[in-house]
Amino acid sequence: MIIFQEDSVKAMDNKIIHTENVDLYYGNFHALKNINFSIAEKKITAMIGPSGCGKSTLLRVFNRMNDLVEGARVTGEVKIAGQNILAGNTDLLNLRKKVGMVFQRPNPFPLSIFENIVFGLKIHQMYQKNKNKLMEIAEQSLKAVLLWDELKNKLNHLATNLSLEQQQKICIARLLVVKPEILLMDEPCSALDPISTARIEELMQELKKDYTIVIVTHNMQQAARVSDETGYMLLGELVEFGDTQRIFTAPTDRRTEDYITGRLG
Amino acid sequence: MNFRRIKEFFVESAIKISGIASIFIVALIFFFLLKEGVLLFKTEKITHFIFGKNWYPISDPPDFGILPLILGTLLVTLGAALIAVPFGVAAAIYISEVAPGKLKEVLKSGIELLAAIPSVVLGFIGMITIVPWMKIIFKIPTGLTAFSGSIVLAFMAMPTIVSIAEDALHSVPKAYKEGAYALGATKWQTIYRVVLPAASSGVVAAVMLGIGRVVGETMAVMMLTGNSPSMPRGMLYPVRTLTATIAAEMGEAVQGGDHYYALFAIGIILFLITFAINITADLVIHRKRQ
Repeated sequence: MIIFQEDSVKAMDNKIIHTENVDLYYGNFHALKNINFSIAEKKITAMIGPSGCGKSTLLRVFNRMNDLVEGARVTGEVKIAGQNILAGNTDLLNLRKKVGMVFQRPNPFPLSIFENIVFGLKIHQMYQKNKNKLMEIAEQSLKAVLLWDELKNKLNHLATNLSLEQQQKICIARLLVVKPEILLMDEPCSALDPISTARIEELMQELKKDYTIVIVTHNMQQAARVSDETGYMLLGELVEFGDTQRIFTAPTDRRTEDYITGRLG
Repeated sequence: MNFRRIKEFFVESAIKISGIASIFIVALIFFFLLKEGVLLFKTEKITHFIFGKNWYPISDPPDFGILPLILGTLLVTLGAALIAVPFGVAAAIYISEVAPGKLKEVLKSGIELLAAIPSVVLGFIGMITIVPWMKIIFKIPTGLTAFSGSIVLAFMAMPTIVSIAEDALHSVPKAYKEGAYALGATKWQTIYRVVLPAASSGVVAAVMLGIGRVVGETMAVMMLTGNSPSMPRGMLYPVRTLTATIAAEMGEAVQGGDHYYALFAIGIILFLITFAINITADLVIHRKRQ
């Protein structure tokens, strides 16, 4: 009875990403195999699994970054807010504006902090002429990533000289200015020390109020700490997907259990 | 153990000596130029030498004003830079960022081939093509003009600019480009907002080295610019450059005479100009890094 109730609560969640029979090939290599699942709006969804299992590849399906890889081919359907983004006529520039991405290694541009933050506005031709408005948005976005107090007097400094944690936050801040709906994070903490990692995780909890977050991590503890739902991937398959707590305490698939108990690493 | 230490010592010393030697040789060259060149200033004032408008080295009394030669060099260099820099940087962007794999290789080796053509051959080709065209297109009495020299020099600067700028663009980390694409930037936005600024120091170095090559080039300009040592009146008139003057007159200058020293003094000026170009490039690169 209780289980039934839980499920009905789940069903009321708004699902923002739906995948249907997604297969991806790099040349002859079958990297994603028949992926079917949905990601809830304004939740944190974690994808875990051993290296090479396809979790980063899956993340890159959602903003079509795989298009940049020669020989990559995707079939199936991925609906984001009802639209199939794998369709040929998808406006990639708009898609990537809506679906932002944070990378494994912080990659701020070799420009000033300010120029990094307003980069998205400039390329999408928003408020270009209005210097005050740009400044205001930069301030908001730096506040959103909890960097404003540290950096407000250094906005014209080179962003690439900051600490890795600050750089990664800058990378998140520069996404926020274009008002995305979904943030894809590809192992955002793997280059950071434990304290910085904790702060980024804290920030993710803040951001979750306004954004849907999908995070790929090889760190199971991190998935357990931050996410609401977790998917376990192995050799290109989505083995199991569900409530984080359940995945980590009562996985239904033997392979998931092997992984989270450390028998497979 | 001891043998290893001795070996280490020798390798280290060899590297140190090669490093110091390159600086030492440059200093030696400058000293030699200076030693021969300053002798002119026993009889000639420096200001008159640099700002004098007449170059009559074998008149009696001779007149050693090199302003027309300096302006000639600057004019030809400016013209060549205006052609070579935009085309060169654009070609580098195309090769590094746009061209598909196979074409990229073909273009790169093509550019290297262009660098391998001796300047006298380029000058010769210029003489039989550009010079007559100039005459027809602009309806001028002679096609041997500053502009003709600029065009051929642009071809000589281009390989340097393209290959060094291409290297700089190519070494921009892929992560920068991915970051820009992931924000919804177009290819062109990514190139001019991220890739170019990231590679700017390398591109500036490429441009400076290209210009350095133009300033120092002798053979092709001598063949194409008409060699008239009068004050330049414009791109479509004959001019004479510093390098061409040295090359053309060294053979007939009496060793130990004022004319001979004047040519060495021109060498000093040339050295200073290229030195200034390199220093500027260095400053630009350092300012970018901060």
